[in-house]
Amino acid sequence: MRKIFRPAPVWPALLLLPLLGGYGYVFLHAEAQWQVAILALAGVAAILAAGSRRVGAALDRSWRAAPSLLGWLAFVVAAALIYVLREDHFALLMVATVLLYALVCLGLNVQFGYAGVLNFAGAAFFGIGGYTAAVLAAHTALPHLVILASAGLLSGVVGSLLVLPLLRTRGHYAALITIAFAILFRTFLEVNDLLGGPQGLKVPGLAILGWSFNDSIVVDADTEFSFYVAYAGFSLVLFTIGLILVWRLERSWLGLSLDAVRIDETAASVFGFQVARWKILAFSLGNVLAGVAGAVYGMMTGFVAPASFTLAESLIFVSIVILGGLGNPAAVLPATVLVVVLPEKLQFIQEYRYLLFSAIVILILLFKPAGLLPRSLRRYFPSWGKA
Amino acid sequence: MFARALRSILAAAVLLFPVTSYAKDTVKLVFIGPLTGGNSSNGLGGRNSTELAVKVRNADAKARYRYELVALDDECKPNIGVQVATKAATDRSIVAGITHYCSTVAMATVDVYHKFGLPVVVWGAVLPDVTYAQNYREIHRINGTMINQNETAAKFMVAQGYRRWAIIHDTTDYGKGHNKYFSQYLTRNGGQILGTFGVTADQQDFSAELTKIKDLGPDVIYFGGTTPLGVRIRTQMDKLGVKAVFQGTSGIVSDAYVDGLGKQAEGTVAFREGAPLERLPGGRRFMEQYAAQKYNDPPEAYGPFAYAAANLVMDAIERVGPDRRKVRSALNATKDHQSIVGTVTFDDHRQNAVPLITKLVVQDGKWIVWEDSDFATGKRKLVSR
Repeated sequence: MRKIFRPAPVWPALLLLPLLGGYGYVFLHAEAQWQVAILALAGVAAILAAGSRRVGAALDRSWRAAPSLLGWLAFVVAAALIYVLREDHFALLMVATVLLYALVCLGLNVQFGYAGVLNFAGAAFFGIGGYTAAVLAAHTALPHLVILASAGLLSGVVGSLLVLPLLRTRGHYAALITIAFAILFRTFLEVNDLLGGPQGLKVPGLAILGWSFNDSIVVDADTEFSFYVAYAGFSLVLFTIGLILVWRLERSWLGLSLDAVRIDETAASVFGFQVARWKILAFSLGNVLAGVAGAVYGMMTGFVAPASFTLAESLIFVSIVILGGLGNPAAVLPATVLVVVLPEKLQFIQEYRYLLFSAIVILILLFKPAGLLPRSLRRYFPSWGKA
Repeated sequence: MFARALRSILAAAVLLFPVTSYAKDTVKLVFIGPLTGGNSSNGLGGRNSTELAVKVRNADAKARYRYELVALDDECKPNIGVQVATKAATDRSIVAGITHYCSTVAMATVDVYHKFGLPVVVWGAVLPDVTYAQNYREIHRINGTMINQNETAAKFMVAQGYRRWAIIHDTTDYGKGHNKYFSQYLTRNGGQILGTFGVTADQQDFSAELTKIKDLGPDVIYFGGTTPLGVRIRTQMDKLGVKAVFQGTSGIVSDAYVDGLGKQAEGTVAFREGAPLERLPGGRRFMEQYAAQKYNDPPEAYGPFAYAAANLVMDAIERVGPDRRKVRSALNATKDHQSIVGTVTFDDHRQNAVPLITKLVVQDGKWIVWEDSDFATGKRKLVSR
């Protein structure tokens, strides 16, 4: 018994965090072909190492030894990365994009990682958020925080309409409904001239409490931070809130119920679970997260158009969740980096970049079929390390 | 001894210095267009044409600078467009850009270029709003808008004696815009529209629309959209026995259209901005040089515009040096610039004000200029009723 209660050393995870931050910094700045190649190889090596039993288990144990301390440290490292990049507009745009995409994927993770509700319309809900922000910010004087909330809300409401046919179908048929919705959404936007039609709409920048996010942050006469610092920081806060929310959800009885519904619907309903209720909860929560992320993304890029929210984009979201590891919220982040930043870094091979990128994704799934960081069992007492 | 050696090294250095200073400074330009996805053939054609312009300029001993082209892929998606535009515009070593084929991407990125002060010349997007919806000094456009194209198209076709039209357009910005401007100019010039049909850009079957059109009995079917859809509609017209002239827009002026249809393509009429390439001396040279590079993809309809835009930008840099603001002012003031797509003069919104519109028709498996065709002389008729 005593052996089981001995806490694992914290240092492996502690060491890993600054390393990851440094890697992120170097990767965002890599431009030359050989740099990207070396960094990509290093990344693959790191993933393989983490997959090996000894290194992976050591990291896992040390993370469990002090999850909240390490979690906040990760937040600090990410914030430090944003600070270091403070004058680099493009790198910050990528950081913010990664964080917002990751937020959407957190939502999808709740939907099909926990409740097993497939959603191939992630980009549509992302788009509903963006369009809501575009319309409300341009035509009303609502405070922008309220706009972000209503973007999430509207996304959830539209999702709850879609949930009706979803509850009557299962498996492939349910997936087909979401695919149909993704296509419907795009066609609706294209023929709707009020919403800008196929050309799209301009979105005003985010402003919270009188602070306009689109102005660069002037520190003093000689120092000026990129305006993307504000967006990246805000996205980081949103992602952190989302992550904590999803973590708490998983650990609570809600998460257990969702798992029960996913693993066997019939058995769950026999045991008194209201399957419909749990599916609605997961589906709506996921869509709300996607909507909020979409609103911030729309305001950051200043433009929304149907071509940004296609079925192909939804598939990218789905592939992030699967590549990361179904049901593991923390895995969303490295997978998003891979899917969003890597194609950008491969710009130098131009028209062949998606070819190479797809090959890399296939290779990863070949060697790690459960994703980069597969979900592990819940352990309610973190100090109960494996002996 | 040591001092002497040092002195001779210094002397050598002094002697060598002027030589090295003769080496040209490198100036970076950016090309942005869709290199992957459904519009990649046009994007690759534009990329190759821009690359060709840079190569030709670098081979010219008289050029003051050596140019380096950075090509970026916008995937024809506005969000990716904003991303790569930010990348290019915030890179201070890049002096100017030749940007965007897709109108919605061009619309999304104008603010980025304005914010970071990168002068760009749009080479393919045809939506009028790209230049006219704002007044940013950074944004120029060398190709005409769909307004010019449809004005000429409507006037020309009415002059040929046609009166009754049916319109099919795709529901993208491209198709909808063409429908809007063509309808406007057609009714103004005395044409009559019997029916308008919007179709999605990936629709396969058009029996419903074409059956209705057959009942309406128009003289001409106007199609606002791009090649893949155009090929399908033209094929299905014959299957259902719809006898009408098929009139397209710049979107179907491609080799793929003629290859895809074979004999059925004969007599299709379309319009494109820019002077007919074969008629201008520079145009013929462009085609020869392009062929000599052995690219995998043809330049497509807008390649010459990308080539002309690159030359316009490089001429400005030659004159005022690699400074973004100076290049911007030099581009703003462009007047009577001779290019392979005709004379370029920017109006107060930096839109090329003298875009020539070329009328084209398919004859014997080739797009040829209307005036040179057997159709113009009356030897052949567009539709045999």
